[in-house]
Amino acid sequence: MWDFIRERQDQLLYNAFQHFSLVMQAVLVASVLAVLLAVVIVRYSWLQGLANALSAIGLTIPALALVGVMLALTGIQPISAFVAVAFYALLPVLRNAVVGLQGVDPTLVESARGMGMSPLAVLWRVRLPLAWPVIHAGVRTSTQMAMGIAAIAAYILGPGLGGYIFTGLAQIGGANAVNYALVATLGIVLVALVADVLLLLLGRLTISKGIRA
Amino acid sequence: MSATSDATASAGATVDPTGEAPAAKRRGRRLDPEMLLLLVLPPVLVALAFGAWVVWRQTADLDSVEQSQLAWSTVTSLMVEHVKLTVVAGLLVVAVAVPLGIALTRGRLKAASPVVVGLANAGQAAPAVGLIVLLALWLGFGFGTAIIALVVYGVLPVLRNTIVGLQGVDPTLVEAGRGIGMTSASVLLRVELPLALPVIMSGVRTALVLIVGTAALATFIDAGGLGAMIVSGINLFRNSLVVSGALLVALLALLVEWLGRVLEFVARPKGV
Amino acid sequence: MTTQHTTGHTSGISGAEIRLEEVVKRYPGQKTAAVESLSLTIPAGEIVMFVGPSGCGKTTSLKMINRLIEPTSGTILIDGEDVRKSSADELRRKIGYVIQGGSLFPHMTVAKNIAIVPKMLGWDASRVKGRVDDLLDLVGLDPSRYRDRYPRELSGGQQQRVGVARGLAADPPVILMDEPFGAVDPITRQRLQDELLSIQRELRKTIVCVTHDIDEAIKLGDRIVILREGGHIAQYDTPEVVLASPADDFVSDFVGSGSTLKQLSLARVNEVDLRETVTARIGEPTADAVQRAEAAGERSVIVLDDRDRPRGWPWLRQLKGDRIVEPTEDLVTVDERSTLNDALDTMLTSSHGAAVVTGDRDRYIGIVTFDTVTDHMRLLEDRAVEDRAHEQAAGERA
Repeated sequence: MWDFIRERQDQLLYNAFQHFSLVMQAVLVASVLAVLLAVVIVRYSWLQGLANALSAIGLTIPALALVGVMLALTGIQPISAFVAVAFYALLPVLRNAVVGLQGVDPTLVESARGMGMSPLAVLWRVRLPLAWPVIHAGVRTSTQMAMGIAAIAAYILGPGLGGYIFTGLAQIGGANAVNYALVATLGIVLVALVADVLLLLLGRLTISKGIRA
Repeated sequence: MSATSDATASAGATVDPTGEAPAAKRRGRRLDPEMLLLLVLPPVLVALAFGAWVVWRQTADLDSVEQSQLAWSTVTSLMVEHVKLTVVAGLLVVAVAVPLGIALTRGRLKAASPVVVGLANAGQAAPAVGLIVLLALWLGFGFGTAIIALVVYGVLPVLRNTIVGLQGVDPTLVEAGRGIGMTSASVLLRVELPLALPVIMSGVRTALVLIVGTAALATFIDAGGLGAMIVSGINLFRNSLVVSGALLVALLALLVEWLGRVLEFVARPKGV
Repeated sequence: MTTQHTTGHTSGISGAEIRLEEVVKRYPGQKTAAVESLSLTIPAGEIVMFVGPSGCGKTTSLKMINRLIEPTSGTILIDGEDVRKSSADELRRKIGYVIQGGSLFPHMTVAKNIAIVPKMLGWDASRVKGRVDDLLDLVGLDPSRYRDRYPRELSGGQQQRVGVARGLAADPPVILMDEPFGAVDPITRQRLQDELLSIQRELRKTIVCVTHDIDEAIKLGDRIVILREGGHIAQYDTPEVVLASPADDFVSDFVGSGSTLKQLSLARVNEVDLRETVTARIGEPTADAVQRAEAAGERSVIVLDDRDRPRGWPWLRQLKGDRIVEPTEDLVTVDERSTLNDALDTMLTSSHGAAVVTGDRDRYIGIVTFDTVTDHMRLLEDRAVEDRAHEQAAGERA
């Protein structure tokens, strides 16, 4: 296997990076969207049941099904993979953001209002920082899930390590079939691990020491 | 901020497809609007969507490829295959994970439970498609391999929830059971398991949803299922096939999730 | 009884007058108004306590002053200016707001919590930093030790102190407090009340404070507003008058009977004669202190730090070593504006049968002894007997 890796070193690294970058971009966009949505949902309580039900339903849709639909809609383009991955990434962040924002002690919000903070300042300086540990946990869940989704998306749509799994499948019986599938699978686990470590680091840097668990 | 610990616990390296806070919290939940929505909305949605698809299938102008791929007999057999994969794998998951979970909350094995759960969590980070393909390269193609892959994938949520559910049972109740002369086996059967059942059922539901979705990948190793329709649609450049397959898998997943939720609701002991 | 509350005021009043004119708060869908036409003038530089049973509209009335709740009708003026003249946010930056438990933001350090309003007002960094340290000092927390801590690293009492400091941060003329000391234990509460009185002696703000505790109202208030349901004023007067002549049955029920012990919550420590005793300073030779004490016939000394704050009250035999070291005991002191009731409580837990009295910034002033308090009680009783005799005589004459 070492020879296999060494021969394709550059290519593998490139694809690992592609995988990583696809997932991270999708998670980033999804997280921003999810938090914005959560702010609106928390504001209007009647939306909460609906949003929770829809996100539970959304997460049951099999990845291959969504990837297939995206293919039918937009054809083979990087954006298709991006949308499919971002769709799944959005839901856990949304759920956690709603829970996190709801968990903010209302007396703290009132206290902030009482000191003369504008609603936007209350959101930015009090509510979001306090909800951030929970949102951050959602982002980590999303990232892990998105790694697997991106592997499936690679079957038809996208860049990344997933393609090697299918190369291995196609070359069944060939000398390198197992190598392709194994290197890709382990590679994705490794990329997921790196991403999680980076996110943990981000958490250390951004979650206030005063509320860290 | 009691939600913090929940959300963090469900996050970790775990990939929970329903993204919900761990089940322990949901015990004693009343029939609130959200629950009602989740009990009523999916079957209605599924029935409507399936009806619409049937109407489309009957009226649409299909070419010969589409006609053969979307023949009722083909569709039915793919669906049956998919359901078979799901049901067999689901039963095996319960048969493996629940006893394992019980064992890991008893006696000396208790200490091993964090290790086992940690390992299972880490395994979950491996992409499903990679796992299936690797198993197939090792064990050969076909139904059996697909089942093994699906079981490996579905064990974690049930195992975790069994452990969490049993650990969540009030120890004074166990003591009370022992106190009135019940054996430890009958305390388990008549006190602990009934009380932990809602939590375990929620894990089963999560596992079933995971399995339905992952079973769509079984087609890559010639184990059938609705994934075949999607894949042949992609290979034959027929979007109608891709969308039909995607729709049917999604509907099946919704139905399974709904069934799980109903079971979970029914399994809730009265008065809890 | 004396109504002299203003002993030792040297600094000028920095507070502003608040006037409520026919203020009404009616919530949609509710039959009765939460506050039904409240008119009230709160003089500049005084502490006015809103007290009453739950649902009497006291918190609603308070929150209408900083527009956290908008009145349905009526006018509120601060320093003669309508509160609706500027935006609600601008108004609130000029009014301190302190609520139960301090309500500190857990993700910000103590310094950042205090600095919020000054920063919003655009103060420069060095001014903010200086202000934060001054305030921590004022509320009795060592700035270098507490500045960078997070709220969860503080005790309940310390959090509440920071909450008060945050309310004072931008030096607002008016401070609103909503059950500020509701979340702490009785001993800490008494200390915090004492500190508030000491701070107020220095700053002379206008403080409006909501409480459900009549004893707290009597202790802290220059005046008390007793509210009944619908925000109706049952009585608005000084604690002495409220205690001595309740306006009606509602008030007298709420206040409770005016026994001698209750009267003790009216008499302040600074109204009785304080005793001097021997003090020692941290770091001075032990022998000197012992010599002074023995010469004065005392068996103990009060140890002061370099800012005259009492830190311990050891017996002479407890003094070890060449020099006086910083005491480890947690000395409970009473402020000179504390009530004799508080002083009594404190000395009952002390082995000296007396309590150490402090003034501004916790500086040592003297001690109050058990005998002093019992003497004062006897005086009150004698006076009560005299009063009754007078009344009888008056009745006979009539």
